[in-house]
Amino acid sequence: MGKPVISVVDIWKSYNDLNVLNGVSFELMEKEVKVIFVPSGSGKSTLLRCINMLNPPDKGEIYLRGQNLMDSDVDLNKIRSRIGMVFQHFNLFTHLKAIDNVSIGLRRVKGLSKEEAHEKALMALKSVKMAEWADHYPAQLSGGQQQRVGIARALAMEPDVILFDEPTSALDPELIGEVLQVMLDIAKSGTTMIVVTHELGFAKAVSSEMIFLGEGVILERGTPEHFFTSPESERVKKFLKQLEVLYGSHEELLKL
Amino acid sequence: MIFQYLPEPIDDLLSVLGYWDLMLSGFIMTMWLYGIALLMGFIIGLSFAIFRQYGGWILSRIATAYIELIRGTPLLAQLFLFYFLPYSLRIPIVKWNYGINFVLFGKDISIILLNHRVLVGIITLSLNSSAYQAEYFRGAILSIGTEQLIAAQSLGMSRLSGIRHIILPQALRRVIPAWSNEAAYLPKYTVVVYFIGVLELFAQAHNIVAYTFVSLLTYIIVAIIFLVLITTISKGLDYIYKRTSIPGL
Repeated sequence: MGKPVISVVDIWKSYNDLNVLNGVSFELMEKEVKVIFVPSGSGKSTLLRCINMLNPPDKGEIYLRGQNLMDSDVDLNKIRSRIGMVFQHFNLFTHLKAIDNVSIGLRRVKGLSKEEAHEKALMALKSVKMAEWADHYPAQLSGGQQQRVGIARALAMEPDVILFDEPTSALDPELIGEVLQVMLDIAKSGTTMIVVTHELGFAKAVSSEMIFLGEGVILERGTPEHFFTSPESERVKKFLKQLEVLYGSHEELLKL
Repeated sequence: MIFQYLPEPIDDLLSVLGYWDLMLSGFIMTMWLYGIALLMGFIIGLSFAIFRQYGGWILSRIATAYIELIRGTPLLAQLFLFYFLPYSLRIPIVKWNYGINFVLFGKDISIILLNHRVLVGIITLSLNSSAYQAEYFRGAILSIGTEQLIAAQSLGMSRLSGIRHIILPQALRRVIPAWSNEAAYLPKYTVVVYFIGVLELFAQAHNIVAYTFVSLLTYIIVAIIFLVLITTISKGLDYIYKRTSIPGL
């Protein structure tokens, strides 16, 4: 099996008296794609921002390849350069062209020269089919295109793992397919990913494990097969049904 | 009949314009004060805006106190404070000055660019302007939102690097329309240094009135100079704003 890329051990997080995470644990192996379903407003961003320590948990441990991120002497900037993040609202740097959005991390964090960074960024843009838009500014791109640049920005850093924070839920329905397709491609090429989403079709296609979170704890976990044939808890059944109705599975969008 | 003043506009104008050298040296002094105060105010103001926004508990409070103290007290009071402080502390004032002299169209023009009075003026105007500029910058930084910095940090950039490479390039573009207020106000504020004897445009106008007894026309000319100057500044900033605006936004 090898060693896990990410280990989340019993993390707790609360804001004032609102408990968001009440002891969540899981492990993520190399090249694994874990899909996490969280009802809206139940701490989906909190979980991901705990993992890259932008919003450290109150209690518990997070390991990146065996290194405890809760240790006080860890260089978190260095750690974060190894954990990619894709945001619900893309969060592209509005003053930079697509290519510079992708290359700025390579230059400012990894210290690559301008030419090297440009070349790598262009390759990352190619992998999300955005190379011909390299010289456009974010505001000149559609939501789906922006999100693909966002994915390229994370990919270019060659991180150990990429965290996806509901990458398609801010998109118009007709733009979801192109983003899911890119995510599918990079998942199949062996990228280690944690994806918080409502996309059942995506989960079915590539996830090695699905986790349902509710009230800050893991309600149920298992393979997609398990969930689509015999989910156990009533809450998960209900939630699955709602997702099916609200979001559809977008299976027709994915060329599987 | 002896006391009746008969306006002779052409003669008045000519006699005022005869003192163009005083107007010029006053104008140079005004621009000098303006330029330095705007620049120093920019540097100090931007730093305080960053301290207030990102400085943590202590620095942000210090910055807030500074900004509120300066914005809450009259400019003239600040000027007098800095001017009289050395006297009340019994710090001896050394008379020194650095200036420039040149001859233009047969007139000797000499301008004292720096002595203790000018220095007090520069310090006061810079600090005063910095507080107002800080608030313009803070407004622009706030309008960028927190997500941009989070995205930068999630790439592995430090907070400082994120502020420098992600927040500031956007905030400085966005601040221009609001900041042009300060750029347009400041030339007019420089006239307060007249009270401590700095020979800027307004003080020189006062001198010209004393020489020529033509007051209305002199001050109208001063007003026109300010009007042209400030219009040029606003137009210039408009141009810069358009040139630097982010495509698609």
